[in-house]
Amino acid sequence: MNRKQQFKEGLITNNPVLVQQIGMCATMAITTTLFNGIGMGLSVLIILTCCNVVVAALRKIIPDEIRLAIFVVVIAGFVTIVDLLLQAFIPALSAALGVFIPLIVVNCIIIGRAEAFCQKNTVKDSFFDGIFQGLGYTCVLIIMCVFREFVGSGRFGGGLIDVANGFRFTLDGTGGGIQIFPEEFGAAIMNLPFGGFLTLGLLIGLMQYALKRSEKKKKAAEHAAKEAALKEVEE
Amino acid sequence: MNNKIVKLSMVLFVICAITAGILGIVNALTWERIDQITHQKEYEAYAAVLGSESGYTQVEFDKAAFPTVDSVNQSNDGNGYVVTSTFSGAQGNITMACGVGTDLKCTGISIIEHSETSGLGAVAASTSSAGEAFRAQFVGQDEGIALSKAGGSIDALAGATITSNAVTNATATSIKCIASLG
Repeated sequence: MNRKQQFKEGLITNNPVLVQQIGMCATMAITTTLFNGIGMGLSVLIILTCCNVVVAALRKIIPDEIRLAIFVVVIAGFVTIVDLLLQAFIPALSAALGVFIPLIVVNCIIIGRAEAFCQKNTVKDSFFDGIFQGLGYTCVLIIMCVFREFVGSGRFGGGLIDVANGFRFTLDGTGGGIQIFPEEFGAAIMNLPFGGFLTLGLLIGLMQYALKRSEKKKKAAEHAAKEAALKEVEE
Repeated sequence: MNNKIVKLSMVLFVICAITAGILGIVNALTWERIDQITHQKEYEAYAAVLGSESGYTQVEFDKAAFPTVDSVNQSNDGNGYVVTSTFSGAQGNITMACGVGTDLKCTGISIIEHSETSGLGAVAASTSSAGEAFRAQFVGQDEGIALSKAGGSIDALAGATITSNAVTNATATSIKCIASLG
């Protein structure tokens, strides 16, 4: 399978959030600071890749009738492992994401990829599918976080960057971020779930517009090529 | 047919058993650290709300009258009490430590555990400047503490009225509980 094609699918043409439109609940809920977005995105990426590999490896053993039950067991297992590791080693992230880490179990991206991709493809392909789809998800989260944080509270990089005592990265989520304009002038509604809906809707709209346009261009190019070929034949 | 059911359940059982085994190992590797972090958090919360150099001693209180209160800890320095309580916030339970001085005024609050919405209610527990400012308002309040919407002087967190209200009420309850000790 073509890696480039897979990469493009994960990030753009078959992006899990913007095109497949799965896993949207957490997307809207946690995208309030850059720290949360990157943390959640990477957690999903790791869990997705692990689950993809295991499901693909077991795909010949798993009976069709109980495949969903087995997928859920595998996913729940990995989510619990990541949850425990986060609690033990990055407690700030675990505290910030709260219930949304355990909720990855029911995030449709993971079960969706297991069902749509891994049970029909090799371990290697599934591994890359996990990484690219995870990256696609992370990118969307980052865009949403940056947008909501900026419009909502006039900040960039909340939790991740601290500028109070010189520029530094804070990996424990304590950084205040870079204040671009005073917080009072921000549209606080963007920090609320409503802002999440709005941002996600705008992003999906933009994505669909871009996809349609590139499709039209492709069709027009094909059409022109056909006409040229016809003309040549006529001549 | 029967054979098939047996086969299906065997496959499911084996996969579940392997998963459970792996989880057991991960749990064994991490529980000590998680436990340590929880204890440390609790201790830090106590120290943040009411400093005590000689530690704390748990004292009895009227559980029936104050069902949300988990424990009352008297400072061995004699400067007051730390009340821990668990109550419901906007998304789930919040566990909080509230310091109460001998003059029955709040000496500070610290949220130990919560599952509030990240970026909204969770700010009440965060170390960000907004979180610090929110908690600083509680220092010096007495049992009449209330949100500014309800005529008090606590400004609610933006977009998190339920969380702010729950924390305010819990502070009032904590102070009343100490008052009832006499």
